[in-house]
Amino acid sequence: MPPPTSNIRNFCIIAHIDHGKSTLADQFLLKTGTISERDIKAQTLDSMDLERERGITIRMHPVTIYHEHNGQQYELNLIDTPGHVDFNYEVSRSLAACEGAILLVDAFQGVQAQTVANAFLAMEANLRLIPTLNKIDLPHARPEYVIAEMEQAVFTEAADVIKVSAKAGLGIENALTAVIERVPAPNGDPTAPLKALIYNSHFDTYKGVVVYCRMIDGELKLGQKVKLMRTGREYAVTEIGQFRPDMTKCESLAAGQVGYFTANIKNIQDVNIGDTVTDALHPATEPLPGYKEPKPMVYSGLYPVNNNEFEALREALAKLKLNDSSFVYAPEVSDGLGFGFRCGFLGMLHREIIQQRLERDSELDLVQTAPNVTYEIEKTNGEQIQVHGPQDVPDGGGIKEFREPIVKISFLIPAGNVGDLMTMCHERRGTFVRTEYLSQQRVILVFEMPLAEVIYDLYDKLKSVTHGYGTMDYEVIGYRPAELVRLDILVHHQRVDALSVIVHRSTAEKRGRAVLKKLREEIDRHLFEVALQAAIGSRVVARETIAAMKKNVTAKCYGGDISRKRKLWAKQAEGKKRMKAIGQVAVPQEAFLAVLESGD
Amino acid sequence: MNRTTNTEPPSPFREPPWREPRTAYLHIPFCAHHCGYCDFAVSAGQDHLVELYLEALTLELTTLGQPRPVETRFIGGGTPTYLTPPQLERLLQAITHWLPLIEDTGEFSIESTPESLNPEKVAVLAQYGVNRVSLGVQSFQARHLNTLDRQHDPSQIAPAVAAVRQQIPAFSFDLIFGTPGQTLWDWEADLTAALQYAPAHISTYGLTYEKGTPLWKSRQRGQLVALDEDAELAMYEHTMNRLEAAGFEHYEISNFARPGQRSRHNERYWANEAYYGFGVGAARYIDGCRELNVRDTKLYIRRVLAGESPTFQSEELEPRDRAWETIATQLRRCDGITRSRFFLQTGFSLDTLIAAPLPQLIALGLLTDDGSTVRLSRRGRCVADGVIEELLSHQ
Repeated sequence: MPPPTSNIRNFCIIAHIDHGKSTLADQFLLKTGTISERDIKAQTLDSMDLERERGITIRMHPVTIYHEHNGQQYELNLIDTPGHVDFNYEVSRSLAACEGAILLVDAFQGVQAQTVANAFLAMEANLRLIPTLNKIDLPHARPEYVIAEMEQAVFTEAADVIKVSAKAGLGIENALTAVIERVPAPNGDPTAPLKALIYNSHFDTYKGVVVYCRMIDGELKLGQKVKLMRTGREYAVTEIGQFRPDMTKCESLAAGQVGYFTANIKNIQDVNIGDTVTDALHPATEPLPGYKEPKPMVYSGLYPVNNNEFEALREALAKLKLNDSSFVYAPEVSDGLGFGFRCGFLGMLHREIIQQRLERDSELDLVQTAPNVTYEIEKTNGEQIQVHGPQDVPDGGGIKEFREPIVKISFLIPAGNVGDLMTMCHERRGTFVRTEYLSQQRVILVFEMPLAEVIYDLYDKLKSVTHGYGTMDYEVIGYRPAELVRLDILVHHQRVDALSVIVHRSTAEKRGRAVLKKLREEIDRHLFEVALQAAIGSRVVARETIAAMKKNVTAKCYGGDISRKRKLWAKQAEGKKRMKAIGQVAVPQEAFLAVLESGD
Repeated sequence: MNRTTNTEPPSPFREPPWREPRTAYLHIPFCAHHCGYCDFAVSAGQDHLVELYLEALTLELTTLGQPRPVETRFIGGGTPTYLTPPQLERLLQAITHWLPLIEDTGEFSIESTPESLNPEKVAVLAQYGVNRVSLGVQSFQARHLNTLDRQHDPSQIAPAVAAVRQQIPAFSFDLIFGTPGQTLWDWEADLTAALQYAPAHISTYGLTYEKGTPLWKSRQRGQLVALDEDAELAMYEHTMNRLEAAGFEHYEISNFARPGQRSRHNERYWANEAYYGFGVGAARYIDGCRELNVRDTKLYIRRVLAGESPTFQSEELEPRDRAWETIATQLRRCDGITRSRFFLQTGFSLDTLIAAPLPQLIALGLLTDDGSTVRLSRRGRCVADGVIEELLSHQ
């Protein structure tokens, strides 16, 4: 029997990486007897290896727990949230399924940039926040200081702060009580026509698509004919259940509850995240607002090191796409790297995770080219085009406006590093927006900056400028015109398409010089002088020269040397044949890699 | 009708020279000292093995089954003249029996060093018909000899040359350039010193850092700095100028001869023709099959005396590979590759093999082509390996 709506609480935990979100979730499961000490894995909610390894949560794993409070049984649905900026859109998805959020902050490290960003997202979604201080038992914890920061940054009342130690199991009961007492019950109508929000899904080989839903109104029953409002498709429900934490079947789901259903849906593409599920016979009149579709903002090429693994890569990408609709890809051909795919990601972490997952699941050896953002071009003829890579930039003139994505980026850093950070942001074409002191020691700086500058090792630079103490968070706020150009690389006067890049005009020369230097190191000397040039259109902005071979001759070639020499010459010649011929110049794959492969 | 007239001696050879050897190499590994740059099969401080080795070498010669006449013979090393006069006699007797020189004009060379040679040994060589001595002088300057780890003293060169000259018709100098610390003027001084002895032939070798040698290790450890490419190039170019002006013919990358004084033995290698090889580490090329003997002296002796073959590597090349190899070796000669001869020897038309890269290499001024013969230009000789690799990459 489903509990009455008034006894349901749907909530999530917002926290910075390493502030103890997973540990706290585990404690909730333990304290409520949802799982036993023996069953607990290190971090139950982070079930993907990769996530456990990295200590972060990427995908949402809901879990339903039961807890008795003041003699009443409550159903608590904990909806996990990802903790990284790339997955911001997933955070909003989680938030839309909840009425409250635990804002978890490390009692030593204090508020971080992402904590602030996600807390504001939660406030905008009208969630009730439960400020919670973790790791209060640590000797170096400084609760008063951190609480003062929370007051300053996210308008917390000191009196409302719950203090816990997830690791030691302290204060867990208080936190559960706070969830029950502070988070409002869902306010859906159990008697209205079925209306449920699809907030996630995954593909199961045996059951088809497993749809994660948050019930708003009405009831979902086994065998019920349902309709997905966006596509209009209808399905018969074959299984209903909740995550406790494993998928556990039940007969029905009532308004306010969180769970899943299956309905023989074969293709994950048919289920749109944010769509509304309704009854096919008695449909709701209006769908739920849903979500903004996440758009890939970072693109890069993905190539198999061995060209004959192209088909294997295609299959691996298709498999990956099954559980990650935010990832897009399309085949492309590169002069230097052969057949591969142009892939779009939500951000740099997303990109890294995809590559690792591919290499792990498919044992493919992959080359990933340096990332670029999605640009927009307005042609003189009025046509608007999306540019995912240098190859999309039209030759010659015809460009009226070249636009790039701009982000609003906030840094939370030690006050002593403000000067260095300012310099760094100005070098990256950032414009200062505002500054806000959380305390005398810590400050929030907000800039607007091209996304292209953010994905180019900004995070590493931030860590080095702040000695590891700085954190950052950003969101795309729109597109702005900029002095952008396609920088071409010419080897012996012939353009090498694979090596072109889109850069800001002011940095073109520097970038060109860097690329040419790498090429010069990797291309062997030839029998003639080889010119390397970087050019914008027909204007050369940088040049390097590989001098001709001057002396290269075997001194002794007598009876015993002939075999050895023949093998050596044949090997050299064979190596040369494997290289990519740009005109008369043999360019080794290493040269392409040195230029194209990203440094991370 | 038989066209052979009685005035021509009947040829003892049934097959063309690229199948049936007309030349033989014999290796003597012994040396007083193993020099730092040398990676030949060498045994220093193993004098007790000499007699056994000569026994084994003689036994290997008997595998010929019957005496095989040759046009040239070459005894290399090591230092063949490190042997004592009686040991030399024993060696030369065996060679004379198994590999008789076909005619009076036959070439018989031996490698030697200034410090290992004396009139007594020269007399033995002359007695057995050695008519060419290749003297490993390397440099006339003590400083560079020291860098090269050579044992002789510049003052030993004159007596050695004098001894050779008295009894043997021709001698050649081996010189090394590009020694660390050497200047162009040092090298010029070496060439001048060499020319004062009026040798018939001079070989000039750019110093090579063979992997694993003490010299190579010193460079790896940064204990010595190799000359830069410009300096080496200047020395090589100066060599060509200087020796050609002195009347020498630059007939192979590293070899210069007065007219009529080329090493006919070595020319067989560069023509990619057949040769016999005996002794430790020796290579042979017979009927399209390349073989290599083991490089360890004790192992060589053990195998041969046990009646086993000393060969440890053997490969039979496909006709096409043989043709490519012929391109690579013949291109080292100033005579280059002559189309008609190449076709006769390999069965391939030169142009079907190198038509694609040829025009560019000619345009770059590295090859010349007069319609019948393709040759390295003067500049092409400096980058011969690059040219050969370019040709081979179009296989």
